[in-house]
Amino acid sequence: MTAAPRTAAIDPASVDLRTRMGALELGDPILAASGCFAYGQQFADFMDLRRLAGLSTKGISPKPRFGNPLPRICETASGMLNSIGLENVGAEAFLAEKLPFLRELGVSVWVNFFGEDFAAYVECARLLEAGRGQGIAVLEMNISCPNIKKGGIEFGTVPEVAHRLTRACVDVTDLPIVVKLTPNVADIVGMADAVAQAGAAGVSLINTITGMAIDVRTRRPRIATMYGGLSGPAIKPVALRMVHQVATALPGLAICGMGGIVSGEDALEFIMAGASCVQVGTANFARPDAALVVVDELRARMAELGIASVSEIVGCIRPIAPEAPQVTE
Amino acid sequence: MPSQFSARVDTNRDLGGGYVVLEFAAEGGGLGDVVAGQFAMLRGDWGRELLNPRAFSVLWSAPDGRFAVLLKAYGRGTTRLVASQPGARVTVTGPLGHGFAPPDGVRTQLLVAGGVGLPPLHLQARQSAARGHAGVTELYYGGRNRDDLVMLDDFAAWGVRAVLATEDGSAGIRGFVTAALEERLVEAQRSGEQVEILSCGPTPMLAAVRKIGLRFEVPTWLCLEEEMACGFGVCLGCAVPVHGPRPYLYCCSDGPVFEAKQVRWP
Repeated sequence: MTAAPRTAAIDPASVDLRTRMGALELGDPILAASGCFAYGQQFADFMDLRRLAGLSTKGISPKPRFGNPLPRICETASGMLNSIGLENVGAEAFLAEKLPFLRELGVSVWVNFFGEDFAAYVECARLLEAGRGQGIAVLEMNISCPNIKKGGIEFGTVPEVAHRLTRACVDVTDLPIVVKLTPNVADIVGMADAVAQAGAAGVSLINTITGMAIDVRTRRPRIATMYGGLSGPAIKPVALRMVHQVATALPGLAICGMGGIVSGEDALEFIMAGASCVQVGTANFARPDAALVVVDELRARMAELGIASVSEIVGCIRPIAPEAPQVTE
Repeated sequence: MPSQFSARVDTNRDLGGGYVVLEFAAEGGGLGDVVAGQFAMLRGDWGRELLNPRAFSVLWSAPDGRFAVLLKAYGRGTTRLVASQPGARVTVTGPLGHGFAPPDGVRTQLLVAGGVGLPPLHLQARQSAARGHAGVTELYYGGRNRDDLVMLDDFAAWGVRAVLATEDGSAGIRGFVTAALEERLVEAQRSGEQVEILSCGPTPMLAAVRKIGLRFEVPTWLCLEEEMACGFGVCLGCAVPVHGPRPYLYCCSDGPVFEAKQVRWP
């Protein structure tokens, strides 16, 4: 018995989509997600990239990486598994060859980065610091990719390790560091708190969920590395739950939400759960201008619901009203 | 330059043997000029159950925006497309990738096709014939039985010689088409004729064609297929193992046509 707030629809043009992710100001809350947008150039054939609020690049490591054996991807019910292997051009080539294009766009450029070990993370943050003032707005630290061996899993799953790693990277750059967390943990709040205490400017929630698919004809996994990261609408409920848990437990921490966002209504759910902004990932593969579609739909949906601004609804959800006490006699 | 646009199924033509030609009418200019081997990503109104578009080699593309693909039901996407009725809407991205080179007027092009791998070779034969090269274009076409060999009339109409092979002997020679190809290469070797191989089909067939091409030291071009999410070089899912400075190239953006000697297969 919970009624919807009664509000009259408003003019879509009057909806204020501006938002803040910590100190960062964004024209609207929709960004393109890391790993699903490369370094942006390929999308120029299909859309006006300048209309994006921002984008997160393919994860950058200090040295170039070539990626995993194939098959690397497979589609599953309402989602897909991938194990690309963090293929990227490396920090040096990124700064020299990719960043100038992104800078020209005038959008919020988040550079996703990682290292193969502790020192490499710090090295990468140090290298990317050179991009401050050259177009980089945020370093999005990926401590959560399931597709890297070398004991990397504990960066994203052991709070003390994540804390030390975040602190070490924060110390070598003046760029804000947003830490992208893995959902493959028992206590997401503990992880978020650990990186926040270490100086993270916010958290990105969530990376892919580790999964598996099997080809029964060949009796082989559908992904060469056996397990891959599940993305797409299949993971949205998990992502929303984690965004809400972190937003509720750590109200001061800025959250960028992601996981299966395809529509404006999806984005609205994340914002109401507590995300200041969101990223659109897997949807870009089917529709290169997916992020722009989400922005348009978000504006229209907010207008229908009589919501005047993004800022007034971040984390606005309330629990279902309690039931009336039962009278037993 | 590729674009994304809407199209509607115009006709759904059953060729028998499970093969279907879907012809589309595009809203707007369609795919425009397409090089044989280039492909398009197609996605129906599939909601959220099936996320990604499917890659299809272009069978033909007309200036009025109409185009066609050949397909068979294999998985969830192709099953839906095969069942699609005239009027059904699809989202199309293309043309994508790099196709085959046209005949150079010196070498005879031996087109080796199997199954749903026919379209790039069908289009190559069509374009070669239109440019007056039908005489230096030959089709080697294999299947399990005669139902697997479709659109043969087109090759006859273009004056392109077709050598057929079926595993059950119901059409052409009995056995694999690669046996016929080898005979043809021996003949070319003997006469000093210059030839090159262009092939598309099931991976085991392509692997055999690759080895034959390498053994006879004949330029050999393979049109490959890998699972793709995007088709335009972003997801990095469609890696192709290659020799050279990088271990992988991408089927969508570097291919789908690769030179056999470059492909790093066993």
